[in-house]
Amino acid sequence: MAHELTKKQALVRMISFGIASAAVYGAMFQNASAFAEMCARGGLYSAMPIAAVFLVSYVHGGFASNLWTALGINAKSPAKTVQATQTKRPEVRATLNA
Amino acid sequence: MDVALDSLKFIDLTTANVIFLFIVGFIGGLVSGFIGSGGAFVLTPGMMSLGVPGTVAVASNMCHKFPKALVGAIKRFRYGQVDIKLGLVMAASAGVGVQVGIKIQNIILDAWGQAGSNLYVSVSFVAVLVVVGGYVFYDAMKSSKGTGVDQTPALALKLQKINLWPMIYFKTANVRISLWFTIPVGFATGMLAATIAVGGFIGVPGMIYVMGVGGLVSSASELVIAFAMGLGGTVNWAMHGMVDIRLTLIILAGSLLGVQLGAIGTTLVREVMIKIVMGSIMLIVAVSRALAMPKYLAQLGLLDIDPGYVSIMDKVSFGIMCAALALGAAIILGAMFKARKAMARQAAQEAYSQA
Repeated sequence: MAHELTKKQALVRMISFGIASAAVYGAMFQNASAFAEMCARGGLYSAMPIAAVFLVSYVHGGFASNLWTALGINAKSPAKTVQATQTKRPEVRATLNA
Repeated sequence: MDVALDSLKFIDLTTANVIFLFIVGFIGGLVSGFIGSGGAFVLTPGMMSLGVPGTVAVASNMCHKFPKALVGAIKRFRYGQVDIKLGLVMAASAGVGVQVGIKIQNIILDAWGQAGSNLYVSVSFVAVLVVVGGYVFYDAMKSSKGTGVDQTPALALKLQKINLWPMIYFKTANVRISLWFTIPVGFATGMLAATIAVGGFIGVPGMIYVMGVGGLVSSASELVIAFAMGLGGTVNWAMHGMVDIRLTLIILAGSLLGVQLGAIGTTLVREVMIKIVMGSIMLIVAVSRALAMPKYLAQLGLLDIDPGYVSIMDKVSFGIMCAALALGAAIILGAMFKARKAMARQAAQEAYSQA
């Protein structure tokens, strides 16, 4: 797993992504009717809704990810695999049980 | 800039509508992040109940589905659960399945009209969900009574032993199988996606029971399939101008929160929980769709039933569908809560024993 963020780092990132997400949503819903009408024109305009959802995935997805980390809801790290230690075996010696 | 929207295509957004879409988006995302799919099936009928035309509801739902799947897939890839190669191989045959599914839908639509098409969708829903969902649920119960560790199913073991060229090795899934056995699973996933909009109800059990992939990797790789199919479908719908971006963005706001929580959940609970959630949802949705069937039978003149009863059954059917999603979310959140509590208890015990 990649480098894990501390709660404080996640909080800072959550705020940054949150502001970006609010700005993107604000811009899109400021002129919601005009934007919706343009996205529904079809043809080459079909790139608009697709670009919009990719942008939202990045900013709002970043916000959501950091929100759960900041709240302390993290994935469980995979169990650490125990490396078998190489110990030198005692040499077998011939003994005489007589 | 104030633009008047076509009222036949775009609904008025009220506060209640926005809250409803956000909450359903969140719960749907949670379930999708956990079992790989299954969150979207309530959204299309849900949007239609708000007055959104069917095609716009399908298109707007699909437009939110692929970015949600992308975010979920990236998250689960970081946990080492996604087999990209498996997802892409499956997505290729699923793409063909979608096209065939759409062709069959069109043939039925031309022959028996909208009621015939709706009946076909409902019959497919009930048949697939009862058979596959019933088996998934039975297997989940059997596994949870045992060690909770998945054994490779007998059918998958037999198929993996057949050396039919070309053999493919899926590294993360740790499965080597002939391409010819992946094609029917992918094709059926696409067919079901085109018919009932939730391909994962076949895709995930298919990967588990036919190919022998573990539940975690199957549900995570299903997100790759959902992304590829969703993107292709969205381009198609958007070219026809059917996406209502306002609805998509509201659902996405909730589902991106949910999908990440669901993905985190997969690392906290036992693997068998994926099967339990999937089986439960599938069986409850089957009941919901069975209740919707008399309406279509009456429309086709095959059943004589009081319209009052039809209306009640319709509402009950939608209610049960919402309940299925809510139950899935409750099981996930409950299992996550229990797992976190157990982890905290274990950590406290370790600290105590060290002191």
